[in-house]
Amino acid sequence: MKVAYIFATSRHTVSYVLGKMILPQLEENRHGVDVAGMFFFEDNNYVLVKGNPTGERLVKVAKARGMLLMGCDQCCYEREIADKLFDGVPIGCFPDLYKALSGNMPDQVITL
Amino acid sequence: MTAACREACCSVAPRFTVAELFERGYRRNRAEPLALEGETVADAEGNSARFSVALDGDRIAELRFRASSCTTLVAYSEALAELLAGFDATMATQYAPQDLIAALPGVHPLKQSRAVLAVAALRAALLKIPSNEPILEGGVAR
Repeated sequence: MKVAYIFATSRHTVSYVLGKMILPQLEENRHGVDVAGMFFFEDNNYVLVKGNPTGERLVKVAKARGMLLMGCDQCCYEREIADKLFDGVPIGCFPDLYKALSGNMPDQVITL
Repeated sequence: MTAACREACCSVAPRFTVAELFERGYRRNRAEPLALEGETVADAEGNSARFSVALDGDRIAELRFRASSCTTLVAYSEALAELLAGFDATMATQYAPQDLIAALPGVHPLKQSRAVLAVAALRAALLKIPSNEPILEGGVAR
């Protein structure tokens, strides 16, 4: 099965669920499903800013697996970080997300 | 007496950032077009923009636009509307995408091509200006 994650809430979503569950599992090849992509809303986008230690690990995994990482464009502009993201990580809105995933469609979209 | 806060939260001066240009552009994007309206210009990604212009003699009195719902495109279009108000209309045709990209830092590198679309749409509207265009009352199409 193939999934896509949408990080929509801003509690422990990135630091805990992504950083301590999903990402280590992906690094250890035991997540159980393929991840087509991840999309980040609101403060969750800070994980995509250059220098973020969780982001560095995430980008490495994404490059190795061909996994999409995308930040919400309005969220990034509002935080003035759109030009500070890891190289090659795009921003966009729903049309950009759907287009980017269209070549690697997930079976399930998980909103966290 | 307490001095007025001059931080971004309280300052009356509008900030020239993508987020704030988008906020202002979101409203301008819904305004009625002005008297001289250019053709709609589209790009390969499905985005489009159309500008309209009101003149005060040879100068641009006001610019409005109707752009598709791309944050970067709306922000670039709003930037043009704010930067070029009062410009000589002929000089405005020389405004290039590179000028717009340089004027608005903070745009994601993969989205800077929206500046090309915004400027192309602006030029399409400026092409509609006939010579000796009379000043229009209120600038709004009737």
